[in-house]
Amino acid sequence: MAVKEMPALSSTAAQAVDVQERRKPLAKRIYEGRVAYTMLAPTFVFLLVFMYYPALLGLYRSVFKWAPGLSADFVALDNFVHLFTKDRVFLNSMDHMLQLAAWYVVSTVGVSLFIAVLIHRLRGARTQYTFRLGMILPVVIPAIVPLMLWKFIYDVKVGPLNAILTWVGLESWTRAWLADPNVALYAVMLRNFPWVDGVAILILLAGLQAIPYEIVESAMIDGASEMRRFWSIELPLIAGQIKLITVLTIMWGVQEFTAVFALTQGGPINSTMVPGMWMFFNAFRINKMGYASAIGVVLFLLTLVLTLINMKYITTEEY
Amino acid sequence: MSAVVTETRGQYRRSRGEQVGLFLRGDWWRIVLLGLFLVGGIAPLVMAFLISLKTIPQFARQPFALTFPLHWENYGFAFEIVLEFIKNSMIVSGVTVVGVLLLASLSAYAFGILEFPGRQVLFYLVLSLMMVPSAMTLIPSFVLVKDLGLMNTYWAMILPWIASGQVFAMFILRTFFESLPRELFDAARIDGASEWQGYWRIALPLSKSMLGVAAILNILGTWNNLIWPYLTIQKQALLPLTPGLWAYQTEYFTRYGLTMAGLLIGSIPLVLLFIFTSRWFVAGLTSGAIKV
Repeated sequence: MAVKEMPALSSTAAQAVDVQERRKPLAKRIYEGRVAYTMLAPTFVFLLVFMYYPALLGLYRSVFKWAPGLSADFVALDNFVHLFTKDRVFLNSMDHMLQLAAWYVVSTVGVSLFIAVLIHRLRGARTQYTFRLGMILPVVIPAIVPLMLWKFIYDVKVGPLNAILTWVGLESWTRAWLADPNVALYAVMLRNFPWVDGVAILILLAGLQAIPYEIVESAMIDGASEMRRFWSIELPLIAGQIKLITVLTIMWGVQEFTAVFALTQGGPINSTMVPGMWMFFNAFRINKMGYASAIGVVLFLLTLVLTLINMKYITTEEY
Repeated sequence: MSAVVTETRGQYRRSRGEQVGLFLRGDWWRIVLLGLFLVGGIAPLVMAFLISLKTIPQFARQPFALTFPLHWENYGFAFEIVLEFIKNSMIVSGVTVVGVLLLASLSAYAFGILEFPGRQVLFYLVLSLMMVPSAMTLIPSFVLVKDLGLMNTYWAMILPWIASGQVFAMFILRTFFESLPRELFDAARIDGASEWQGYWRIALPLSKSMLGVAAILNILGTWNNLIWPYLTIQKQALLPLTPGLWAYQTEYFTRYGLTMAGLLIGSIPLVLLFIFTSRWFVAGLTSGAIKV
């Protein structure tokens, strides 16, 4: 997303200066840039120590069998081979991750789009403002709070979900939602009902409000219905925002394991395991640090591929 | 239909009578639908509030409806514990966000305003970090922090979070600095101002709102981080809010009144921040995501 802005770095005026500048010897230009380098120095010190070094170390460690305190054995690509051929838990976790990410995309885009259009069609400015504020407010509740509340809602003995089911006469449906391997993944997936995502709503709403009113007006003069107005005008014109939300959600869904960590820790019997959680488990519960690093590298490659696909095929100039 | 066409999208303020008229004319079902979504979203918090006023026997007898007498002392108990977490979070997120803004604005100024050899290359070096997921650096960072002897200190959180947080902040600040008119900086240079003065006296004052946006986004990120503090901080006294609430909830799990009170108290600080900075919040959450 940021990449496409790169050419803007040198505007035509700056290019003219560039040509002049380039005639000077490099050493002189470097000397003249000393203020810039000084300004960048603290940033790069931090990046080198806490970003580049760990990232490269992660790559390096992924080809070792290694536990803290013990000597590291070089095993080449064995970790990766093992991951993809023998590790059932890992392969299943990839499957769970795909299901979760797919659901996050569907629910985020679907619900947010519905709400954004509803708010956009409100005719009262004040009600519009109120609902916009109401939808964004939950963003500031610390993420751990809804997770803990949903853990409680799903509780087998005292959870309100089972209480409601009993109350409406569906007692046979009650179960230990997060402890039943058949449903735990779906319980994790469907938490936070009704899936209001304030950020996505704001992004979509900003897109809807940027549509020139003349376009909508002329369509309505021509007799376009509300549905037609949505499908033929609004949806195509906010396609950029929808793509943005989709991409952000997928990228987030690949790495995310805080929810699984807080709700189930990957259990029961690994039925909610996701790659991030499996990495965490290998590294910090059973001390297979090298193996866990390999999972980290797989996640990195996945993110990289997704980013490249996004840059090449999906990102448009619309936003 | 004609009434709709002559609407000017409600951009002017309407009187109360007009508001009611609009409601009757067709907004009502939208308001009901949106209201349902809001209620659904808030319901767990309402449930938490109801339970937070109960003792254990009260909860056992009547878990969800209000029971009297109301036990506000649950809040007193939870407050003492959670306040410590909030204090830690404010220190850690506060120091982090100051560091992030300082480093990010300096490097954004260098990349956005200044000319120097290697600018593109260095910029791409930073850019590439956007593709490195936190999952990949988790284990090596942990080992690094351990080797540096930072475990169980605030620095274990602050230093890595400054490093990772500044990347995104730098992007939005650079985009903003580039949009400032070049003439401003040229004029200052002609008048003999150094680049440091250009940064401190021109760029920073003009970008206060963008700094606010970057700050809010950064605070939201560090405030909600569960995994990293969980790994690096074992001393309960140093835990920030998110892992603190998690530990607290695990400890008092079956005493539901206390846990719910704790979760609600823990929600307050960011809500307060939101109330005072809602403009930046809204701007940050939309434009920040769109522009970058």
